[in-house]
Amino acid sequence: MTAAAIEAQYAGLQKQAVAKTAVQKSKPLVRVGTATCGVAAGAIPVKEAFEKEIGSRGLDARVVEAGCMGHCYAEPLVVIDKPGFAPLCYGSVDGDLARRLVADFLAGDDPCYEFALAALEPNDVFPTFSEFPRGVCEEKIILERCGFIDPEAIDDYIARDGYAALAKALALPPEEVLAEIKAANLRGRGGAGFPAGVKWEAARGAGDGVKYVICNADEGDPGAFMDRSILESDPHQVIEGMIICAYCVGAAEGWLYIRAEYPRAVERIHTAIRQAREKGLLGQSILGSGFAFDLRVFQGSGAFVCGEETALVSSMEGKMGMPQTRPPFMAQSGFRGRPTVLNNVKTFSYVPHIVSRGADWFKGTGTPGTPGTAVFSLVGKVSHTGLVEVPMGTTLRRLIFDVGEGIPGGKKFKAAQIGGPSGGCLPEAALDVPIDFDSLRQAGAIMGSGGLVVLDEDDCMVAVARFFLEFTRHESCGKCTFCRLGTKHMLDILTEITGGRGNPASLEVLRELAEDVQAGSLCNLGRTAPNPILTTLRYFRDEYDAHIFEGRCPALMCKELIAYYILPKKCSKLCDACVGSCPVEAIFTRADGLKEIDQQKCVKCDNCRKACPPEHDAVVKLSPPSLLSGKEGVPK
Amino acid sequence: MSEKVTLTIDGREIRAAAGGKLLWAALDNGIYIPNLCAVRERVRPAASCRLCFVEVEGSAAPVTACTQPVKDGLVVRTRSERVDRLVRSAFELLLSDHRLQCRECPANRSCGLQKIARERGLKLRLTRLKPLPKEAAIDESAAAFSFDRSRCVLCGRCIWVDREVAKVGAIGFTRRGLERTVTTFEDETLAESICNECGLCVHACPVGALYFKQPE
Amino acid sequence: MFSVPLPLASGEREEILKIVGDILKNHAANRENLIPILQQVQAKLGYLPGPAMEKIAAASGVPAVDLYGLATFYNQFRLHPPGKHRVNVCMGTACYMAGGRIALDSFERRLKIKEGETTPDRNFSLERVACVGCCTMAPVVVVDDKVEGRVTPTRVDGILLECGASNGAAGEAPAAENTPAGREQAEGAQRS
Repeated sequence: MTAAAIEAQYAGLQKQAVAKTAVQKSKPLVRVGTATCGVAAGAIPVKEAFEKEIGSRGLDARVVEAGCMGHCYAEPLVVIDKPGFAPLCYGSVDGDLARRLVADFLAGDDPCYEFALAALEPNDVFPTFSEFPRGVCEEKIILERCGFIDPEAIDDYIARDGYAALAKALALPPEEVLAEIKAANLRGRGGAGFPAGVKWEAARGAGDGVKYVICNADEGDPGAFMDRSILESDPHQVIEGMIICAYCVGAAEGWLYIRAEYPRAVERIHTAIRQAREKGLLGQSILGSGFAFDLRVFQGSGAFVCGEETALVSSMEGKMGMPQTRPPFMAQSGFRGRPTVLNNVKTFSYVPHIVSRGADWFKGTGTPGTPGTAVFSLVGKVSHTGLVEVPMGTTLRRLIFDVGEGIPGGKKFKAAQIGGPSGGCLPEAALDVPIDFDSLRQAGAIMGSGGLVVLDEDDCMVAVARFFLEFTRHESCGKCTFCRLGTKHMLDILTEITGGRGNPASLEVLRELAEDVQAGSLCNLGRTAPNPILTTLRYFRDEYDAHIFEGRCPALMCKELIAYYILPKKCSKLCDACVGSCPVEAIFTRADGLKEIDQQKCVKCDNCRKACPPEHDAVVKLSPPSLLSGKEGVPK
Repeated sequence: MSEKVTLTIDGREIRAAAGGKLLWAALDNGIYIPNLCAVRERVRPAASCRLCFVEVEGSAAPVTACTQPVKDGLVVRTRSERVDRLVRSAFELLLSDHRLQCRECPANRSCGLQKIARERGLKLRLTRLKPLPKEAAIDESAAAFSFDRSRCVLCGRCIWVDREVAKVGAIGFTRRGLERTVTTFEDETLAESICNECGLCVHACPVGALYFKQPE
Repeated sequence: MFSVPLPLASGEREEILKIVGDILKNHAANRENLIPILQQVQAKLGYLPGPAMEKIAAASGVPAVDLYGLATFYNQFRLHPPGKHRVNVCMGTACYMAGGRIALDSFERRLKIKEGETTPDRNFSLERVACVGCCTMAPVVVVDDKVEGRVTPTRVDGILLECGASNGAAGEAPAAENTPAGREQAEGAQRS
């Protein structure tokens, strides 16, 4: 098959797809973001409201599901694309707004700009996302289509040049495609940053027998959902990247290893695979090239350690997900003992873009050491949470304060937790660290797979460290001594400290253990598990000391070190919001009509403080609880 | 047999088969390296006890001898400050999860933990860590031997002989993390299980977790 | 440390074996397929009963204890029937920092069970999950596959009410799962 014939076959597919989408474009189109987070925010009833209202008015408009647009703070998100208008995105849509948009915009001609978030295409009337402060910092490569195509319609993808990179690759010798990936210095986005091209080359060189390509979508970091969003929003991009990889290394079979906790992603990938087969983009002789490759899905059963590649392969082989020693490396002996390439969802997602636009284009973004972009799920105490994509080398400060628009409620920034349980907590002083694999490692954190949780003054850093150790203790596979027992002892020491029972000597033991678990563990889960401890000890030692020496939690977070108190001066006789809010009936009305907390009964759930109306603001937290003594109404 | 090569361990030149693992080359030549989980016949070592760390010239950090292939010209030191620290920590971690009553233990004087303590001058008691609570769930159902999980160090040697030598498949690792346990299907007693009580696992146990009721 | 498997009622064992047999017809019973097979069994039965694991072991030639190993290693698998309503409290970073622990405490208090347990009437089971990826709505609770965001103690009461928990049904008695009487009671409740 000649290169020209492959290109011609692709051109045919694209022509069909363009024609199909063009017909659809002549009608108004409503896209409802129904990735998991959209659904959680109520996207399904919104979609139904649109359908019902459109139906009852007899309008000729289509309602489709789309993926994640990245602006999670404003879910549910809806895009209305009506001929004659720039496509407009609306945030925080509910049933009422849906009906109003149908009545005013679809039936009438009023786009209801007062509810619009942004336009998706430049126009004279309304600003686009790229004019947002965030849009200026962002550079979207692999998130570009997310939310703006129907993930369950392959034609949407093909009409936007999807699978063009595959056609281009198949028309070239595999060595040449591989050389381009190598030249682009695409580093694995799963966390470690190992160059993908080097992995692929090793697998390519490992003989002519059966080989496998595996996509690691076992995203397990608490606080990270990039991979889920990409699978749910643009599944074909991942599939295309995997096919190109398979072509480079000479594999005929590929697997997507997806967490069972991501049912929507699993469903959409299955649909995408089926559609790709129907178009001849998977299966025998892809695009008539003679190259055969097909994909299967393996659902991970829920074990964080399976994100580690040897553990992932063990679980695919029907065993407990336990890491193995290396060598042999995956490229020599992986799944079923055969040469295997294993990359993350995001890594594969970059591949079609690099093939289409070339290594030099890719290296034009990011830093010399780490070209390209970084994708983060930006969550926690930040105004504009969401899925963001910025060039490598962007500083954390820019990411948090420009893209995320800072800390809500006028609170003070405290730390950026980056890289999940394997990562670390970086303080204000480290915010000018450029985001790339090497700089973050120097600062004590890791890039990880891209979870970024912003913490403010109300978050206790010892409690954060304890949270992650609780996680790694629970998720440790238990195979090796350091991880199984080291995480347990470190957790116990942290529990003592957050419970006000810590002592200075145990802090030394904690540091020694952390260093030894880092040096001695079998796999990267264990080796990186101490990072949250080591970074908080390095940057937030004063908080450890306050817990140990003063019995005080400076962030007023650790339950055993705080007490709730109602200020009599501020409390009102006329209000009993707190009494009703208390789940354990710990708040009572005193003889004088003011409210008081029975300290014996209080479970410190914070509900009363939330319930107290802002005009009173009478409920306060104190730490240490000994501050209560001497207060009015508190027995000595 | 594969080709013999020369390597240096603690300044001593020894000859060993290339491609074999360093741990066995050292032990065969009378050079002690602490270990609990190593099984010579195992193709892919478990490398789970983390006790056999050594310094290998050219490696930035200590490596486990059970996974380090023997190569010509390899220069190894079995002791260094870093190695001793790791071994001390791994050892104390294991002790913290082991019911420490040596005098009552059937493996007293033949115990793998005692050997390590003796060879490396380590204490058989906890100095920095607190003991983790252990329930003494002793399975005495088998005729000839008993299984005391509170002494088990999870080396996996019993499972290896059960599978590879006795070819029974009565016991295996179950659960995860701190709850990891050697047990039978649905935690049946050994007598209820498909165990044929051949006793090979008892010989494989380096500590007193599996022991004969009557000393042999 | 070991919990005892629930006794099966007459006829239940046969039913389980039939379902497993049907699943095994569609899968080669080799080691590689064990996890997908277990996933399907659990999807049908809600948990992994002993006879199911034994049957899969026999068909695949893998020691039964290894099936038990898989069932106890992975978070997804359960050895006991779940409650009618499954409450999963997300303990991802964002949820934890935003009060996930408080939400979990509230459920524990209201249902009078601890995480990982099921109410004696088998109406609710309470579990913590690592991260459901809805971090921007923290703290998140997933109730029967429906995601609830920004869960406060007040909302916990609302969620339980929506599930139709009368005060009594939410478990007046402490969890009696581990007593024989409790098991019988639970079994009875489940089948009635």
